Amino acid sequence: MIRANEIIKQANGTRILRGVSFEVTPRTVLGIIGASGSGKTTLLRCLNGLERIDGGTIEFDDLHLEAKLSRTEYARRVKELRRRVGTVFQHLNLFPHLTVLGNIVEAPVHVSHAARCEAETEAYNLLESVGLKHLAQRYPESLSGGEQQRVAIARALAMHPQLLLFDEPTSALDPKRTISLRSLLLSFVERGHTMVIVSHAIGFLIGLADHLLYMEGGEVVEQGTTDRILNSPSDPRTKDFVEQAE
Amino acid sequence: MTENHCSRVLLSSILITLVGLLLTTPARAQQALRWGADPSGGAPYVFNDPNHPDQYIGYEKEMVDALAAAMGRKAEFVPSDWETLVSALQRGSFDVIVNGLEPTADRARQIQFSKPYYIFQLALTIRNDERQINSLADCRNRTVGTLGNTAASRLLQKEGVSFRGYADPVAAYRDLELKRIDAVLMDVPAEVFYVSKSATLKRAGEPFFRGTYNIGMRKGDDALKVQVDAAIDKIIRDGTLEQILRKWNLWNDAQAELQNPIRSGQQTGHLAYEITSASFNWREALWRLTRAAGVTVLIAFGSMFIALTLGMPLAVGQWKGPSWLQWFCTVYVEFFRGTPVLVQLLFLYFGLPAIGLAMPSWLTALVGLGLNYAAYESQVYRAALSAIPRGQWEASYSLGMSPLLAFRRIILPQAFRIALPPMTNDFVSLFKDTSTAYAISLWELATAYRELANASGQFLLLGVAVSLYYLAMSLPMAHLARRLERRLQRSQAIEAVESEQAA
Repeated sequence: MIRANEIIKQANGTRILRGVSFEVTPRTVLGIIGASGSGKTTLLRCLNGLERIDGGTIEFDDLHLEAKLSRTEYARRVKELRRRVGTVFQHLNLFPHLTVLGNIVEAPVHVSHAARCEAETEAYNLLESVGLKHLAQRYPESLSGGEQQRVAIARALAMHPQLLLFDEPTSALDPKRTISLRSLLLSFVERGHTMVIVSHAIGFLIGLADHLLYMEGGEVVEQGTTDRILNSPSDPRTKDFVEQAE
Repeated sequence: MTENHCSRVLLSSILITLVGLLLTTPARAQQALRWGADPSGGAPYVFNDPNHPDQYIGYEKEMVDALAAAMGRKAEFVPSDWETLVSALQRGSFDVIVNGLEPTADRARQIQFSKPYYIFQLALTIRNDERQINSLADCRNRTVGTLGNTAASRLLQKEGVSFRGYADPVAAYRDLELKRIDAVLMDVPAEVFYVSKSATLKRAGEPFFRGTYNIGMRKGDDALKVQVDAAIDKIIRDGTLEQILRKWNLWNDAQAELQNPIRSGQQTGHLAYEITSASFNWREALWRLTRAAGVTVLIAFGSMFIALTLGMPLAVGQWKGPSWLQWFCTVYVEFFRGTPVLVQLLFLYFGLPAIGLAMPSWLTALVGLGLNYAAYESQVYRAALSAIPRGQWEASYSLGMSPLLAFRRIILPQAFRIALPPMTNDFVSLFKDTSTAYAISLWELATAYRELANASGQFLLLGVAVSLYYLAMSLPMAHLARRLERRLQRSQAIEAVESEQAA
């Protein structure tokens, strides 16, 4: 479904990504793990076009992004890419001037030009699936961190993305809320969603991610099934990280 | 001993000389006849010599020199403001007013007058292409320009002709040429001087109305009055005044009527003409103030609308535009913030007609204040726009929004919330800045105050009334600004608590 080949990203003369390759097949979950500064968030930002790649290619089915494309052509393809990819940011970035419902219907109504009443009906369904239907008319600032995150997830799902990206979804959650987020994402897996989850919390990914990818210094150290990475990592650096995390 | 005595004599003589010098110097200075007049647009009375701008010329300047010489004194000119001449005289800024001053009854209550030295008439001026106005009677429903607080303005008020009071004749005649007004009523001396030079203006009908110019003095300066009256007689008898008036093309039959009895040695009785006193009616004054307040409100809201509309493209241009646009917007902002709004208004009103763009004063005020405040509002917008976190843009893009859509739907509404309190504050100061429009004779609240107070002398009471008007308009705005600020602070406080909880 999505395949990255030797992605290179530079900023201020230093290479943040040094040839990252991986593949995500439909209806699977990829967990990207690594310490802070390993480049995993930058990788995620390349996947939804917020960062332009400086080398390599990103292939989303028939859609190809490469560094040599002209500015306008790259922008055009990124626009198409974003129709297929939904993102839940670490800091959520909810729209504070809109209600919970407004946050969710904003893009369907103004980007996809859906009828408002239909968009709202669907938004209520989404809110019900994340357990927040009763908060539809509230403003984000009056919600707890966990509730805000569910709004952000519903907002991303409202555009029917084929791939969902999560950046550090557990960073602001207490253990109890982490568990409930995990069961929510598991329900998504059952419904056949494809997801890429960036996290430094390995425990959260166990039983959720099918594959794990360990990054260090902008490079992929090792990737494989979650079982293999956790139980018999071949690279000592992966082993260290996994052991420290436990 | 003798040596000692000699040195003592020497010393005391030096001392006496010194003391004498010290005493005589101020005594000589006191002898100068200090006279006050308004030289701004003051031709042909007293004005800056165009060829030597640091010198004053004019028929009254020459007359005062002759009068002072007749009194054995030296004339010293104190440039002043026409509308405040009487109060400046009372404060002691100068000894006499010589500025074509009419001895009206209300002025006679405050100061005393010499005998008349000139008989003036009023002349109506129109454009060459004017077909409908031949006399003052034709000016009903038209606008006539004149000087504030003169015999002409009082006559217009009495006749019920709508008029605009100007601070100097040049502006009045220029506005007539630019078709901003329909006619000008002015004393003949000024009319002769300006209209004879204009190719597009002409006199309508014959000069009418009579009044005298007298020299104004403080009450109680009776010795001075005797001296001045004697000096006027002297320069009339020896022909000096006639010579001066002929030189300035101001000699006519009326002057002969005034001067002949004096020349033939008759001490005629007091020559006096009835000049309408400035009548003061509080109800009428408050009504005029209310209308002026209405103009102020309209100008303030109108120019704020322009400022808010124009401020946005300026802010975006300076913030995200290509470099040439950023440069242009910065120049615009710095120009309008770095020069006084008063100068900008004067430039728009008097400067632009030179390139064929003559706007009426209300439009000038609207556009001028609007352009000026657009510079300030653009900076408010810019600060508010850059205060929106980058994550808001990124979230919008990730949902598939174009930059324009993200700006319109997500960034702008949030920036507006941040910009609202400073914008309201700016509106309050714009409100007060409408008073600069008095410089272009717009009848707003400050102009109304100046004219009514000068006409009545009620500076204190009218000042209180005008201040109340301003407060009644600006206090609700300030209140609104504070409420908005508090609301914003409250929601920010909630956000802060939330993020603390989340962390």
